[in-house]
This record gives sequence, structure tokens and C-alpha cells, in this order.
Amino acid sequence: MTCGAAGLTRPGPWQRAPWQRVATGDDTVAVAERAALGTSARVAVWPPENLGAACAATGDVLAALDLQASRFRPDSELSWLNEAGGGLFMLGDGLAEAVGVALAAARWTGGLTDPTVGAALVSLGYDRDFAAISQGGKPPGGHDGEPPGAPVAAPGWPLVRLDGPLLRLPPGIRLDLGATAKGLGSDRAVRAVMSATGHRGGILVSLGGDIAVAGTPPRDGWPVAVAEEPDQAVPSQLIRLAAGAVATSSVSARRWRRGDAVLHHIVDPRTGRPAAGPWRTVTVAAATCADANAASTAAIVAGGRAQDWLTAAGLPARMTGHDGRVCRLGGWPAGDGRPVPVPPGSRVYAGGPR
Amino acid sequence: MDPSSRGAPRRESIRQARRMSNWTAAALIAGTGTAAVALAHQAHQATAAGVAATGAASAGGTAGTAGTGTSAAAGPAVAHSVATTTASGVTVTTTTRTVNGKTVVTRVRHAPAGQDD
Repeated sequence: MTCGAAGLTRPGPWQRAPWQRVATGDDTVAVAERAALGTSARVAVWPPENLGAACAATGDVLAALDLQASRFRPDSELSWLNEAGGGLFMLGDGLAEAVGVALAAARWTGGLTDPTVGAALVSLGYDRDFAAISQGGKPPGGHDGEPPGAPVAAPGWPLVRLDGPLLRLPPGIRLDLGATAKGLGSDRAVRAVMSATGHRGGILVSLGGDIAVAGTPPRDGWPVAVAEEPDQAVPSQLIRLAAGAVATSSVSARRWRRGDAVLHHIVDPRTGRPAAGPWRTVTVAAATCADANAASTAAIVAGGRAQDWLTAAGLPARMTGHDGRVCRLGGWPAGDGRPVPVPPGSRVYAGGPR
Repeated sequence: MDPSSRGAPRRESIRQARRMSNWTAAALIAGTGTAAVALAHQAHQATAAGVAATGAASAGGTAGTAGTGTSAAAGPAVAHSVATTTASGVTVTTTTRTVNGKTVVTRVRHAPAGQDD
């Protein structure tokens, strides 16, 4: 038996980024943003005087998650696990929960998301944080002229056994928790903020566009813009989120070129290649952000079967095809400013998010 | 001493003890009832407050079905969007500064064009 890499605390570059207050022209809520986990984190809170506590609690959660589950930090517990070459491991509580959520999501989606997809992503060249690009690092893929490696199908999540904190990882399997980790981070953050603020008021946390809310929302719900592209100037829709979470997955973001191939980060575990279905962007609402995160990724991978899968899961969703066609499911509102009906119950947390 | 006169104080003592016992029992019953009512009231208030505070994010989002915007009477009215759900691009940093008395918000996207297309 081997113990995890708990205790290593060298901060990632983004952890030195301060929270920046975002002016909204509205003094009833306070909003702040900072870089985090290779993307950006945003908190919106009311009453506004809770902002300091909200930023501190969210920062603590994200720092801990980064140290537990980042595939790009050599000192993270997950990196240590991936480099160990298989075996029996005693995980820290945080990583045990993260792996448990990823395995539950894989079971729920029938393998459309799969944490054993790590080697496939490395083979495609997604072996470093996109944030490294801004610091003069090489883009994922390393060498522009080098073609992508041969596709590596995911070995399969059933090979990984987790019993409480005890993980059995077969040799050769590299874990990647990308389909659930950001959602898990948002879920953890809103709970930490509510605890830090004495359950007073309400909180929204967005981690790279995966949003969870808790507490008492603003009247009619938190106003949330839906964008099909990361840097879209005019959002596609404005929705209201009173409870639960919403998450978006898209093949338009985190793309890189390798040889003549343009690749993206959503990999079909069955083939080891970037998902090539008809949907460009999928937004899903669910009771928790990890659920929404997993479901939106699964829908991209499911391709032509996405509508059937989301309908069977009973989740409201908005899907945009490569041809611009928009499809709404499960009561997703058609107009602006309408509330999204969020179904109860989580499929990825055992007994509710912890 | 006359045995009957010897028994009178004893009977009086027993009667007094019975009276005390009855009053004690009555006080206990009344006190227990009052405490039970108070505890039940407090428990109800705590449950109601807990449900209002935790919302759908707790216990697997069990309050999620009600999350259609109708339960937000206590929150402020917010008209503008406070966040955007979108695919996670690369790091975006927002800088807020004041120039000539006006607030200027700058968003910097940390990825060279062409690398994240």
C-alpha cells in the first residue's frame, strides 16, 4: 500500500492571482473574478459585504482541488498517482471524493465520460495546462509539425476500483478528471461560501463557465448568460437560475493544432479521438454542477444519441449544432430571462454532495 | 400516651407528603408539556430556516424542482447577468481600474491567437 502525495503545497501560478472586483453598476450584488485552474473563477454574492468571505472560501477550495486533482501539476496528488504505474493507494479525502464522482459519472453516462481517458489525452498532445501558453510555454501538442499519436482508447472505468479512500489502479491507466472536476469545484465552493457566511444571502460560483448557486437567489433567480463560444461578444440567451447548477461543454474551446489536425479536449473514450458528433456546444442544467458538467460532456461525446440520452436523464439542455441549429430539451426556456427548471437529485454524489 | 392520639400526627404527615407528591407530579407534568411545546416550536423554526438557506445545492439538490425562480422572494432584484456559462476557454482575467473618475473594465484572454481556435 502506498500513501498519496498529501502535504505538498507549492502553489500553481494562478494561485498568486488576486481577486479582482468586477464593476456591474449594481450595488445589490458583488462580483469578483480571478484566474484559477487554467481558466477563470467568478463569484457573485449578496449581500455584497459577504464578498471577502466568499472569495477567501472559494480560493481555499480551488487551491485544495488543484493540489488534489490537477493533471498538469507535477506535485498534485493525481499526478503522483498517474506516475506511480498502478497499485493500491490510500487517497486523501478530497481526491477520493473527486475520483468517486468521476467513476459515478462514468457509470451514469454508460462510459460517455471516463476518467481512464488520461493516456488518450496525452497521446493527442493535451499534456499541459492551456494557461502555460500565456507564460511562454509551448501549446498542447508540443511540436507543430508532429502529427498526433495513434489514438488510445480508454482502458475503461470498470477497471478502476475505489472503496472509500482505497483506490486500486491497474498499471498503465492514467486518470483525468476533466469531465467532472470543474463542476465538483463549483459545488464545493458554494457550500464553503454558505458555511463561511453563516448561510446568509446567496452565492453563485462559476469555474470556467460551470456554475453552481446556493442559498437564497436574487428575485427570479441568478441572471446567467449562455454563450456558445468562450469569447462571444453577445450571449446567445439569458436564463435565470434559482437553484442547482448549469454547465457548458463545447468543442470550440481548448483546441490545438498538431500536424495538419485540429484537435480539441473532449475525447471519446471509446475511440481515443476528439469527439466528432453533430453538436458544437451543449449546456445542461442539473441539481449539482458535477452532474451538469458530466452530462454536458457526455452529450458532446454521445453525438447523434445526445438527445435520447439527455431526455432519458430528464435534464434540461440547450444544444447547438455545427450548422448553428439550436435544440432545446427538458423544458429549457425558449426566450430570454426565463427560469430553467432544475430537476432534483444528484447522480454522481453518493448521498448528496459532500 | 393514647395510641389514637399518637397516630394523628403520623396520619397528618402522610397526608402532607401525599399533597406534596401530588403538587410535584402536577408541576412535573406541566413543565414537561411546556418544554415539549417549546422544543417542537424551535425545531420547526430551525427546519424552515435550514431549508431556506441551503437550497438545492445541499443533499443532492433535493430542492431543485422548485428552482424555477418562484422561491426567491427574499433576494434582491438583479437585472444584469452576473456570469456566463460557456465552454471553458483559457484564463480570462478581468481588471477593474478608475480612469478620470470612470470605471474601466479590461478583460485579458491569455492565449495567443491561433493556439486556441
